[in-house]
Amino acid sequence: MEVIELAQREADKNGVSRIREILIEVGDLSGVEADAFQSALELIVHGTILAEAELRISRTPGKGKCMKCNMEFEMNNRIDCCPKCLCLPSEISEGQEFRVLSMVVE
Amino acid sequence: MCDTCGCGNPDEFKIHGKENGQMANWRNGENQEHHHHDHEHEHDGHTHSHVHDHTPEKVISLNMDILSENNRLAERNRGYFEGKHVLALNLVSSPGSGKTTILEKTIHALIPSRKIFVIEGDQQTARDADRIEKSGAPAIQINTGSGCHLDAKMIHLALHKMEVDNQAILFIENVGNLVCPALFDLGEQKRVVVISVTEGDDKPLKYPYMFQSSNLCIINKTDLLPYVDFSVEAAIQYARQLNPDLEFILMSAKTGEGMNEWYTWLSKQ
Repeated sequence: MEVIELAQREADKNGVSRIREILIEVGDLSGVEADAFQSALELIVHGTILAEAELRISRTPGKGKCMKCNMEFEMNNRIDCCPKCLCLPSEISEGQEFRVLSMVVE
Repeated sequence: MCDTCGCGNPDEFKIHGKENGQMANWRNGENQEHHHHDHEHEHDGHTHSHVHDHTPEKVISLNMDILSENNRLAERNRGYFEGKHVLALNLVSSPGSGKTTILEKTIHALIPSRKIFVIEGDQQTARDADRIEKSGAPAIQINTGSGCHLDAKMIHLALHKMEVDNQAILFIENVGNLVCPALFDLGEQKRVVVISVTEGDDKPLKYPYMFQSSNLCIINKTDLLPYVDFSVEAAIQYARQLNPDLEFILMSAKTGEGMNEWYTWLSKQ
């Protein structure tokens, strides 16, 4: 629902009546299941400004930084730890995104 | 997150509380008895035909956080709490971990030395708010309908229905769910996650978002430890892997173990 409200707000602000496409970034560590999110969104856009819009999802892989040695490494889930130091808490640097990147409008 | 499972129609939640001493119900923050609006729209004869000239396409770059509206409202709530020196705590857990019992005991112990207010979140019924009011603290119930979490707007509207005194503690008991409530800032100063020893000690690993975003973890129902395979050390170790700053209190709201530690923690915030 937040996506629809955001799209409507931005459309109003820009004096736009039709949105052709909306690009949404979903990080792999954001807590949002991208496929389920897309299906749910497709179901609820009827009758809204996004009804005719193509919903495009861009996935961002997870990346973390070890709090001990500062090494950057890929994270497939939030509890992954530094492959060198093992099982120490790591800082998530990428993959938590959940945002609207852009809209193609008329 | 709730668009994920398709649940959570934001136009569906209800608030139960008292208005001028009388029970009242609000749907989406509007009193159903007193504020009936007819949603008729006069169009003064103008028609709704719009001419589409097929103007050329244009790309609007946004880079906007989808939860930004919730976060904005949460910041407003936080400013309100700070202005009134109110300690607002967001209590999160699975269903049945003992949040309401902890609150009942806390209210008995701390009133009248400390003013306490409670916002209760559940999908249905006002049972928890009734329990809290019997304990002696004003409470307001938010029913989220099919939604599985409270959001900042619901808290904002609930605060319009219940005047919270300066210097008070406001407990916000979230919907029993360790998934979606993790993503929604309500404007609280601290988040408290409650788990009970009848759950698995690997809960922090299964629901990492909640443990990463919390400040205090209460491990409740410790009186049952002799009867279950719950390792307190393992649970703490798993949770600390995710969040090294997380504090812990071992508690049995039933026997009173850990309650003094909890009151001390509250007085330090």
